[in-house]
Amino acid sequence: MLEAFVFITVLCGFLGIIFKQNLLMKIISMDIMSTGVIGYYVLIASRSGLQTPIIGSTNSDDLAYADPVPQAVILTAIVIGFSIQALMLVCAMKLAKNNPTLETSFIEENNTP
Amino acid sequence: MIHSTIAWIALPFFIGFVIYLAPKVSRWLAVAIPLFSASYAGNIFLNTDPGDALSIQLIDTLGVNLIVDHLSGWFILTNALVTLAVIVYCWQTSKKPFFFMQLVILHGSVNSAFICADFISLYVALEVISIAAFLLIAYSRSDRSIWVGLRYLFISNTVMLFYLIGAVLIYQANHSFNYSGLLNASVEAIALIFLGLLGKGGIFISGFWLPLTHSESESPVSAMLSGVVVKAGVFPMVRLALMLEAINPVVRLFGVATALLGVSYAVFAKDTKRMLAFHTISQLGFIMAAPIVGGFYALTHGLVKAALFLISGILPSRNFKELKHQPLDLKIWLALIIASFSISGFPLLAGFGAKVLTTKNLLPWQVIAMNIAALGTAISFAKFIFLPRQKLVKSNLATKNNTEMTTKPIQLGFWGAMIILLGGLVLANGVYYEAYTFKNLLKPLATIAAGWSIYLLIVQKLTIKLPRTIEQFEHLIGVMSLTLILLFWTVWTRIQYST
Repeated sequence: MLEAFVFITVLCGFLGIIFKQNLLMKIISMDIMSTGVIGYYVLIASRSGLQTPIIGSTNSDDLAYADPVPQAVILTAIVIGFSIQALMLVCAMKLAKNNPTLETSFIEENNTP
Repeated sequence: MIHSTIAWIALPFFIGFVIYLAPKVSRWLAVAIPLFSASYAGNIFLNTDPGDALSIQLIDTLGVNLIVDHLSGWFILTNALVTLAVIVYCWQTSKKPFFFMQLVILHGSVNSAFICADFISLYVALEVISIAAFLLIAYSRSDRSIWVGLRYLFISNTVMLFYLIGAVLIYQANHSFNYSGLLNASVEAIALIFLGLLGKGGIFISGFWLPLTHSESESPVSAMLSGVVVKAGVFPMVRLALMLEAINPVVRLFGVATALLGVSYAVFAKDTKRMLAFHTISQLGFIMAAPIVGGFYALTHGLVKAALFLISGILPSRNFKELKHQPLDLKIWLALIIASFSISGFPLLAGFGAKVLTTKNLLPWQVIAMNIAALGTAISFAKFIFLPRQKLVKSNLATKNNTEMTTKPIQLGFWGAMIILLGGLVLANGVYYEAYTFKNLLKPLATIAAGWSIYLLIVQKLTIKLPRTIEQFEHLIGVMSLTLILLFWTVWTRIQYST
């Protein structure tokens, strides 16, 4: 069930990238897509349990811990993703000077030889 | 070896930031990095046997896995030489320290892509490559360069999201991100991972972002992108093909398809840089078609392509038609000829050895297609070879007349870069000297002769303009979904056959 929601999110983001005309909307769609991917990592991590994996907090043997590895990995991906988002938004700002509507088809027309 | 490897991976990033703090010595610091990488690659070749691989596991199976062997050695050497040439080329230009910093960081991240052996390290390396490459593409900050860079960043980030989904599926199956676990995962995981790598490496139909990106960047940046950056996407596929028997045919199949597709566009290209970019796509196919010898092919292609992009930057025009009416300076023409001959597979240059090696390692079903692709290469480079040159006697007079019109003053850095790249080609020729048998010599010469005659008789007169619709942004993204289906289907059928 949750998995289906995650994939719907990814798909929505992907379709948004294709069908939205505005550059800003495309960037946001990509963010939605990456939210879906992050959600999927968290979901997979929680397959083995929901507890926070900290050693020594309570009697540690019989608790069902969430798998820390996918979470650690996705943290890296989140940081990378958000730095790329920031970079793209700066680009969009720059492009907005000469293409105020930010329609990708116009930007593309103006900038391909 | 472990410590030196880690130091070697970390150094470019460290130096990259030092460059920003000490801008005055930026050029000297930058040039030290590729020299260090080259010596590291030399160390790999001298101290390990061809079959051996140094495998490094940091922390444990969940941590970072690295593999260093001869295959990575070839790619690292390519990276070192191309970066060195680009830095030398830019030495006298007014590029800011920021440019050199990005160059060094790009070099470092490409290096790490060449040795990592787990999917997450690879992901991080590929993303750092995207960011550094984007900053280099957008360095001039014109609207066009920003758009081209943004397009590149967008596409590579979207495919990398698919790749991440694939990576977590592999983790779910193995509890490790190591390359070796790929086959335990489901077919869709393999398809998603390959979609990421195909998109990133510019292979087959998902590689149509590449022509515009490579042709609209500045020449030194195109040289970096075409010479080494795309290979960071190809290398993991070659590595996987060698590690896992079942993946091998899939990679070979995509290699053949890419070689044919790229070359068929390259033959009809009217613009020098676009032709080179399409040709890059086809050469990546050659690397993948015979994974076991892909390293040497990558070296020769990287050197040639970097040299050709740097040369095309100083040619008076980018249009082949206009170039036909403007005789070239003899020295530039010579450099152009050496590079074009090497890539066509002419004996005495490294391209010949690489072509022979690749041909030997092809499977029977690949041979015809790859020969057609080699013929296409000869046809498309005939465009460069048959450009007019100035006569030696007249050159003085002619240059005097044309100085203001045609030739810009060529800086010393250009010749430095040419010496590194073309010298590398001649030296690398010695690596596989067994290739020089009569039978081996005959075939490339016949291919080249056939290619040239087809060019002179037919292609020269054709004016076909291939549609560029598929290079539009939306289509590029849409093609990803098609590629995913294609990949799923290919992997599914192939793996069923092999087990």
